[in-house]
Amino acid sequence: MIAWPKLSRLSFRTKINCGIVLIVGLITIPLAYLTWRAAAESLRAETRKRGMVLSENLAMRVSDAMLSMDLLRLKNMVDELKKVDDIVYAFILDRDGNVLVHTFKGGFPVELRTVNAPQKGAPHIQLLDDGREYIDDFAAPVVIVGTPFGTTRIGLSRTKAEAGADRLALMIVFYSATAMIAALAPSTLFARRVTERINRLKSHAEEVVKGNLDQRAGPRALFSCSSMLACDKTACPAYGDRDRRCWLTASPDQRGEGPESCRGCPVYAAQKGDEIQDLAETFDVMAVSLKTHLDELRRTERVLKRQERLLRTILDATPDLVCLLDENLAYLAVNRAFAAFVALDPQDIVGTTDRDIFPADEGTAMHDENALVLTRSRPSDREVSLRRDGATVWLHVVRVPITDSRGKAIGILRTARDVTQLKQFQEQLIQSQKMESLGKLAGGVAHEINTPLGVILGYAQLLQDDVPTGSQIHADLQTIEKQAKVCRKIVADLLGFSRQAESAKIEMCFNNSLMEAITLVRHAFSLEHTAIVTDLDERMPIIYGDPEKLKQVWINLLANARDAMGGGGTLLVRSRLYAAEQKVTAWFADTGPGIPAENCSRIFDPFFTTKPVGQGTGLGLSVSFGIIQDHGGSISVESPVPHGFFDSVDTGDAPGPGAVFIVDLPLDHEETIGGALPAGPMEG
Amino acid sequence: MRRREALFALFTLPAALLWGCGNDDDAVRVDLSKREEPTLRLPPKAITYAYLPQYAHTVSYERHRLLLEYLGRATGLNLRQIFPDTFEEHVRMVERGEIDISFSNPFAYIRMARSGARAFARIIEPSGKPDFKSQIICRRDNGALKTLEDCRGKRWMAVDPSSAGGYLYALGEFLENGIRRRDFAEISFAPGPGGKQEKVVLAVYAGTYDIGSIRDGTLEILRGKIDIGQIRVLAESKAYPGWVYAARAGLAPQIVDRIAKAMFHLSMSRPDDAVILTTAGMRGIIPATDADYGSVRQLAEKLGLDALEDNT
Repeated sequence: MIAWPKLSRLSFRTKINCGIVLIVGLITIPLAYLTWRAAAESLRAETRKRGMVLSENLAMRVSDAMLSMDLLRLKNMVDELKKVDDIVYAFILDRDGNVLVHTFKGGFPVELRTVNAPQKGAPHIQLLDDGREYIDDFAAPVVIVGTPFGTTRIGLSRTKAEAGADRLALMIVFYSATAMIAALAPSTLFARRVTERINRLKSHAEEVVKGNLDQRAGPRALFSCSSMLACDKTACPAYGDRDRRCWLTASPDQRGEGPESCRGCPVYAAQKGDEIQDLAETFDVMAVSLKTHLDELRRTERVLKRQERLLRTILDATPDLVCLLDENLAYLAVNRAFAAFVALDPQDIVGTTDRDIFPADEGTAMHDENALVLTRSRPSDREVSLRRDGATVWLHVVRVPITDSRGKAIGILRTARDVTQLKQFQEQLIQSQKMESLGKLAGGVAHEINTPLGVILGYAQLLQDDVPTGSQIHADLQTIEKQAKVCRKIVADLLGFSRQAESAKIEMCFNNSLMEAITLVRHAFSLEHTAIVTDLDERMPIIYGDPEKLKQVWINLLANARDAMGGGGTLLVRSRLYAAEQKVTAWFADTGPGIPAENCSRIFDPFFTTKPVGQGTGLGLSVSFGIIQDHGGSISVESPVPHGFFDSVDTGDAPGPGAVFIVDLPLDHEETIGGALPAGPMEG
Repeated sequence: MRRREALFALFTLPAALLWGCGNDDDAVRVDLSKREEPTLRLPPKAITYAYLPQYAHTVSYERHRLLLEYLGRATGLNLRQIFPDTFEEHVRMVERGEIDISFSNPFAYIRMARSGARAFARIIEPSGKPDFKSQIICRRDNGALKTLEDCRGKRWMAVDPSSAGGYLYALGEFLENGIRRRDFAEISFAPGPGGKQEKVVLAVYAGTYDIGSIRDGTLEILRGKIDIGQIRVLAESKAYPGWVYAARAGLAPQIVDRIAKAMFHLSMSRPDDAVILTTAGMRGIIPATDADYGSVRQLAEKLGLDALEDNT
């Protein structure tokens, strides 16, 4: 079975050729046939007419010869007819139907005599078939003055006549075929010309698809419209342009075949092409327009990208946690700070909800708050505390509903600012205010108590002289004296805390102050397996301070360290002078269990203590804080001890991680600063 | 219409045209191989009647058909018209007895009379007279012809060497005026059979010949066909007896008598007879004898017809 190619897959040129052949064929074949039929009919009609004329003419001509019975003339007459090629026979019958003369040789066909006769005195035609050919038999009456005298019969070969028509048909078919072949040549040229241009247009379109918008499909004009019209409008987009037609570039109306106003224009008349040229030129203009639009789009895209980057930079640079949620409370976008806060990639957050990225309790609460803002379509502003790495983080969360043009809430813009530090400052401020009030109260109370306490202590010491030593009363009086001293110490601390104690600042050696305190406690500490190791700056920094109060601070810090280590350990005291910063720093590090992070911020609060009731008042560090502050310095704590702090010290099997108190004191006199800056371990 | 249907219609149309056109005649089957040679049957015996062929046979037939039918009815005889092709043949057939009743001009008669044929009737001409004459005609605008004398050296067309009115009477007239045949530049006779009188008129009318000779009455026949006003009658001959009926030698006198009586019985006053007579180109038939044609014999003698015949 032959696999015919699908019509749609044939090339356009083949289709045009096939179409033209088909059209010519469909026109010429029926035309040839109809012409042949018409010619055959015409020939037949002509033959009939001719036969009728011949037979009637013979009938008229034979009158005289029949009247005179001149058989020779009659014979000559029929023989003359027989000379004509398509006349098969001719003969004459008398009024009785007897054959007078005939053209047959070898006798007259018997059957022929009666197969045809005039009908009602008029000639009659009868088609005969002798087995070899068809014969039109014409029978015309010989009438002389209204009297029938006989019949003339003529036989014309229809087969021969039709052979002529057939030859004519063959000729028509031949000419039709010639015309068809002749039509093929121009049609091929025409098809090639058309398809060439269409193919060029197609390749141009392919180039456009590939992004090459600079190719041209239309022909270049010989002259531009401006040169043809001597136009000086240089601002016109068509000015001097030979690549694009002016009605396509300069006309505001490009619909239809061009603007109506261009119809009478000589430029239009000279440069207007056929439909394919129009298509190609329109395509060129389209490509140019497309390129222009694409360029604009690219420029706009660059601007947008730059703006997006700017916005993203702004959003990412801001420490606030910014996010955008849709109406289903799913994340549409987040900034880098937010992503960092939840420790996820920004792309992973998009599409999720608070429930997905926050712990269960926080997520639910935030989701409910979001839903409330969305429902009410009113902004909310509140502070929330979250637990992160064991610490509390305070966030100031602002939720702003986003509405569409109809006022319906379609999302939420949420910003959250970390206000933990602010909160701490607030707490410290409150604490300071509390301390201030407490100090004033304690100072006042201490002043009032100090006098009677002195009286009690004085009387207790006096009474001891009045009772025998070793007596119960003496012992009791000693107890009263001892407890009164304790009370006086407490009162003194309270006074110190409230800055109401007397302060006598002098120039003093920082190292000596430290060593005095260390020497004082070293022996006692050693009894409790606590070793004190010193690493003091040898430049002997001189500070301006109260030696007694500072010694109180050092002893307090040393005692705290000893207490923290409990079962013993190593206590490292280090001092360093920072001449450039005009300060001197002392470190008091222990190898104890360290201070929990949550206590670090509260350890300097008055009356804060981790010790059991009766073993500490919680005023030691608070008083030390006050003294250092009074000296313009600062005191802070770090736990655990920074790595490498004890590297130069043999700490034995200390349980670690320990804690280190850092005291900074300013230098008041530049002359006290000597030598180069130390390369201490804390400056590394 | 869907594409497939359109294509189907496109391709079936020529087929439908082919189918619709065909041989719509019914042919009769005939075997041309069965042959035989036909044989003519002789016509039944009858009294033969012939008209001197001055016209075509069909004209002769037409003119005398009604007369023959009448004579057949009136006499009870079986009469049949026969058609000699020439004057000469006519005369010979009378002489051979093949023509029983001959209707001829006087000159033909005097020739046939030599073989024993006898006149028994003659006609009254359409002019109402039993005799007729020749007319010598020319174009009206021919100023060179005013008298017979002017005809010398001219071209003359006559009807037939044997034509009485169309040639011989005019020839006699010229002779009486001293003009002989050799005095003419040319003497021609109308060609072909039939309509010779008319041909002469037309030849003169066309200017082919300067003069023509016709029997009187001919111009009337042509009135309507040509402009008779363009023809001028230059001269007329003397009147001679008209056409004559003669019976061949040996025909039974009773038969001749019966026919003659029937002829004489015809009258223009009877409409039926008038049709017969008018159709035959005559107004009546009257008895005649051989002596009536003495003047014709004299003219023939004067013209030297025997010598004339030899020359023609």
